Amino acid sequence: MTGKRFKTIAFDGLLKNNPTLRLVLGTCPTLALSTAAFNGIGMGLAVTFILICSNVLISLLRKTIPNAVRIPAFVIIIATFVTIVRMLLDKFIPSLYDSMGVYLPLIVVNCIILGRAESFASKNKVLDSACDGLFTGLGFTAALTLIGAVREILGAGAIFGYTLWDFKIEFFTSSAGAFFVYGLAIAIFNAVYTKIENVRRSKTFALRIMPKPDVSAPDNLDPEASEQAQADSAAQTAKEVK
Amino acid sequence: MTVKQFFKSQAFKCIIVLLVIALVAGGLLAILNDVLYVTEEERTMRAIEKVYGKEMNYQEKEYSSDQLVNDYGTLSKVYLLENGNYLVQATGGEGYKGGTITVWVVLTARDGAFGGIEKVVLESYEKQTLMSKLTYDVYSAHNDEITGDVYFTTGGDGIKVLISGATYSANALNNAVDCALQFAREVLFATEPEEVA
Repeated sequence: MTGKRFKTIAFDGLLKNNPTLRLVLGTCPTLALSTAAFNGIGMGLAVTFILICSNVLISLLRKTIPNAVRIPAFVIIIATFVTIVRMLLDKFIPSLYDSMGVYLPLIVVNCIILGRAESFASKNKVLDSACDGLFTGLGFTAALTLIGAVREILGAGAIFGYTLWDFKIEFFTSSAGAFFVYGLAIAIFNAVYTKIENVRRSKTFALRIMPKPDVSAPDNLDPEASEQAQADSAAQTAKEVK
Repeated sequence: MTVKQFFKSQAFKCIIVLLVIALVAGGLLAILNDVLYVTEEERTMRAIEKVYGKEMNYQEKEYSSDQLVNDYGTLSKVYLLENGNYLVQATGGEGYKGGTITVWVVLTARDGAFGGIEKVVLESYEKQTLMSKLTYDVYSAHNDEITGDVYFTTGGDGIKVLISGATYSANALNNAVDCALQFAREVLFATEPEEVA
């Protein structure tokens, strides 16, 4: 895997195709388990582990599994890893196991995991698939932790269980509060992402269409004048693109 | 389709692949289940740690099913702790959408008689969507030296524990604690009636 490919996979998983904030996948656990930042981290890391393992195994078996039965095969593989995570959490982190409740076994039908298995792992090499699982999972974890932290601070006056102040707005601990914070997070993330993407595109476009300086012309021998002309041209192109 | 054709067909390959994946997954889970199994003793110790914040020796007490079911709910476990108190797991019904709340209740003993409730800790719940309203203070409201034949209630006579906006959940919680309370009075610390000469 080349460095450029690695960067693309990482950028896609974390930002461009962030499962929670861009693709709006895995909404059910996002709303239900984002009451506290710790729950968000726990759920996110559990999903990340399952994503990496299932992506690796599905990628390894991609030439063996017939196309007609790929979905049931993927579901069996994902369910196996979910059950392993359940057993591990129940044994070693019972408090997190209790707080995740019914949403832990429901990871089996989480559309992020099945979606990555179907659209990426079943078509790509093992290392690429492992990286895709890792970064998609980390994108999900970051989004869940962020939403959980906001809800915990505003709804319980605490962060990661540590009390900050007595001020609480109970609305943020309710289901309506979850929808409100989730919606705001999507709006802010997409507004910032779109703005950055537009600037990046206009810069790339400006560089592509900008005419090469004529070095034979006497005016262009002056480096300051040449730089000024380039900057003016880029600004003009950016205006046109806008 | 002949038998030979079937064995060479795509359908047969599909069956074999799915079967192998399922068998391998099943075998792996069977081994891991054996390795990671959480015993009943371990679960009980976790409950004691949840209540007291430390491990403690205990002795399990056996009662008949008639004694474990009363007017307010059902008891599933009764333990005598090394400090002389009783730890019981009680489930109260009539919550939101007919759901239940299960709690651990520490019943204190004083000179062989029932002294009151030392602590109430949540174990699990069903169908209660407003459990976040049941804060630490709500569980602590049940900790008291209880004298007389009173029970916890959301209204009317008795010790009132009501949570605004989550009345049904409060009802289920009160029922669970009352279940432990009635068990303490009528079974655990019940005095035998004196025989008339």
